[in-house]
Amino acid sequence: MAELTFFSFYPGSSLVHQLDARFKIFFVIVLSFICLNTSFQGLAALSTLITAFIFSIRLPLTHVIKELRYFLLLIVLVFVARTLSSDGAPDVNFRIFTISVNGLRSGLLICWRLAFIVFCGLAFISTTRSSQIKGAVQWYLKPIPFIPEKKIGTMMSLIMRFVPVILDQAKETLEAQKARGIENRKNPFYRLVKLGIPLIRRTFEQADDLVLALEARCYSDSRTNPPLRSHKRDWLSLLAIMVMCIALYVFKFI
Amino acid sequence: MNIIEIENLSHRFADGTIGVENIDLKVRQGSFVVIAGPNGSGKTTLLRHLNGLLLATSGSVKIAGLPIEKNLLQVRQLVGMMFQDADSQIVGETVCEDIAFGPENLRMERSEVAKRVHNALGAVGLDHLADQRPHLLSGGEKRRLAIAGILAMEPKVIVFDEPFSSLDYPGVKQILSSMSTLHRSGHTIVATTHDLEKIIAHADRLIFMNNGKIVLDGSPEKIMTDAETYGVRQPYASRLGHKVRSWLS
Repeated sequence: MAELTFFSFYPGSSLVHQLDARFKIFFVIVLSFICLNTSFQGLAALSTLITAFIFSIRLPLTHVIKELRYFLLLIVLVFVARTLSSDGAPDVNFRIFTISVNGLRSGLLICWRLAFIVFCGLAFISTTRSSQIKGAVQWYLKPIPFIPEKKIGTMMSLIMRFVPVILDQAKETLEAQKARGIENRKNPFYRLVKLGIPLIRRTFEQADDLVLALEARCYSDSRTNPPLRSHKRDWLSLLAIMVMCIALYVFKFI
Repeated sequence: MNIIEIENLSHRFADGTIGVENIDLKVRQGSFVVIAGPNGSGKTTLLRHLNGLLLATSGSVKIAGLPIEKNLLQVRQLVGMMFQDADSQIVGETVCEDIAFGPENLRMERSEVAKRVHNALGAVGLDHLADQRPHLLSGGEKRRLAIAGILAMEPKVIVFDEPFSSLDYPGVKQILSSMSTLHRSGHTIVATTHDLEKIIAHADRLIFMNNGKIVLDGSPEKIMTDAETYGVRQPYASRLGHKVRSWLS
């Protein structure tokens, strides 16, 4: 049986689940921009907010962190690179490496911002059905001329549906190769090629099958649109986020 | 009344391979037809002509009197198809969304979509999994979801391509039970298989295919004994001269 991936919708009835997808997309964009321009204090306030949301969603957090392990590794690498490459008077010298308090602060700030954006995305994806995301994306793209918003919406929802399937296939292929001793080959390029080719082939085969399945169920661009309705709670949430942004600005955290 | 009418159907693939050749077939409304044959005998190719996923190189296919080439949308509403690999058929991110996919494609009102989803969930007994993500379902549940997705479009004919492949015993019984219920409710069932044992007790007609042609067509009791001539295993009870009993009994 397939495992949970953090790219999936996670059913629930929290406030974040109930918000209109259009508002949620707007919130993710606004909060991401704000976090890129805010200080430590501002980030702490935003992170408290997003942590409260993630707890209210009741996601299996240990599993999510396990799923994010490669991202966390990336964050550590970014932190090290930023710390070692920042300007400022060196505070610690170790062989060819010099570390400054300025560099540490800068590295920490960038990593915190990256983590915040990813957790915002996590809160959004795990509380929003792909049909709602599709509807919201179509709604945002509709006024833009020459953009086939319905096609883009469908492509997005299919990608979200098939990411877990592709990950499952990758895992299955990897296990089959481990069973035949691929771990004895130390060349990572060889292993990547041997994993990638069958995985891509299977993914394309599945895409062919998917086209048939879509045709068999009368798929066309002209479909019943997902219901998008804003409620009082959406406008109140918008007001709360705006008040928070203004407060961050007034207290000079932006 | 014949719901499916196929006359002199042949299909040749782009590489020159013959998929099916000179097929003549009429299927009465409400019947339960099993098409058996070894791998590569043309069963899936034949099925894909029933809802216009493949179009005839020569000959004609009519569903409820409608030539499929000119009535693709109507024909696809009338003929629901369950694919061999349920995973590739499921497109929604939750069970509910997947069932709603067909009615949404037919541009139904949101209230009608909700009603059909509710009915289809009940028909296959997946009510308790309405918000579950499909890739977390078991093999049997995925197939039942695929059936629900078809039922939501209210078809008259339901076509099953190897419905039991990779299923465990409870999974086979669940699908068989759904097929039997659908048949009793008036749907025409067409199923392909290379394993007669599981399904033949429910069929009222058996067709053997080999090398893209229909080689034998008749009632299961009469022609089942010839199965092994055409690369299909004869059911065990039939070998012993007994009546083949349903897996549901």
